[in-house]
Amino acid sequence: MTNTEQPLIQALRQRNPEAFTQVFNQYSDKIYRLAIGLLNNEDEAEGIVQETFMRLIEHIDQFEGRSQIGTWLYRVAYNLCIDHLRKQQPNLTLAEEHENSAKLPQPVILTNWHQPPEKLLASEEIMTQLDKAIESLSPTLRAVFILREIEGLSTAETAQILNLTPGTVKVRLHRARLQLREQLAAYFAEQTA
Amino acid sequence: MNCEQLLQYLSDYIDQNLDEDLSAEAQEHLATCPNCRVVLDTTQKTISLFRKQGKRVIPAHRRQRLFSQLQNAFQQK
Ligand SMILES: [Zn+2]
Repeated sequence: MTNTEQPLIQALRQRNPEAFTQVFNQYSDKIYRLAIGLLNNEDEAEGIVQETFMRLIEHIDQFEGRSQIGTWLYRVAYNLCIDHLRKQQPNLTLAEEHENSAKLPQPVILTNWHQPPEKLLASEEIMTQLDKAIESLSPTLRAVFILREIEGLSTAETAQILNLTPGTVKVRLHRARLQLREQLAAYFAEQTA
Repeated sequence: MNCEQLLQYLSDYIDQNLDEDLSAEAQEHLATCPNCRVVLDTTQKTISLFRKQGKRVIPAHRRQRLFSQLQNAFQQK
C-alpha cells in the first residue's frame, strides 16, 4: 500500500519541485480544514499548514514510508493544533467524559426541519450556523467528525491519525453527530416554525 | 428495540453497519416511533449538510503566499 508512494518520496528527496507541488496541492486544503475546524482562526490555520509542510521538508530524508504521506501530515497537523490549543487552554483534556459509559445524551429537540434549498447552502448564514455547531464540540469530537465526515477518511485511518482505537473513533463520531444534530435542530426548527 | 437502544445504534444504522437482525429491529421500532424517526431524519440531514458544505479551501492570497514560501524552503533544504 505504502509502496505506491515510494517514487513520490524519492522525488521529494531529490528536491523535485513538481513533487512538492503535487503534495502541496493534494494536502494543503485538507490540513487547512482540519486546522480551521480545530482552531477557528484563519491566521493560525495558515500557520499550521506552514509548520506541517516545514516538518515534512525537514524530515523527508528520514521519512520511512511506514505511514502514507497524507496520514503523516494529518498527524503532525493534529498534534500542532493540540499544542496550540493547550497554550490557549492549559487545562484542555483529550479524553471525553463518560466516554465508556453506555449513556448517550438524550435528543432534546424533536422537531423536524427541511434541508435548506441548494442555492442557500453556501450562504453566509448557513456557513455561520455550521461553524457554530462545530465549535460547540470538544476538540476531540471535532477532529473525529472532520476527518471522518468532511474528509471522508476511514475509521482505521482516523484512528491512526488521532492515536485512538477504532472503537473510540466510532463512539466519538456518534456523539459528534448527535450533538451537531441538536445544534442544527435548534436553529432550523426556529427557522421553519 | 426501544428508543434508548435505537439511539445507541443510530450511527451504525445510518452507516449500514448493523447485521440483518438488528437492522430489522431498528426498522420495526422506527415504524412505530415518530420521535426516533425525527432523530434519524435530522441526523441524516445534519451529516449531509456538513458533507456538502464543509469543503472550504485556503483563501487564494494565503495559498499563494504559503506555496511560494514552502517551495523556496523545499529547494533550499
Ligand atoms: Zn423511539
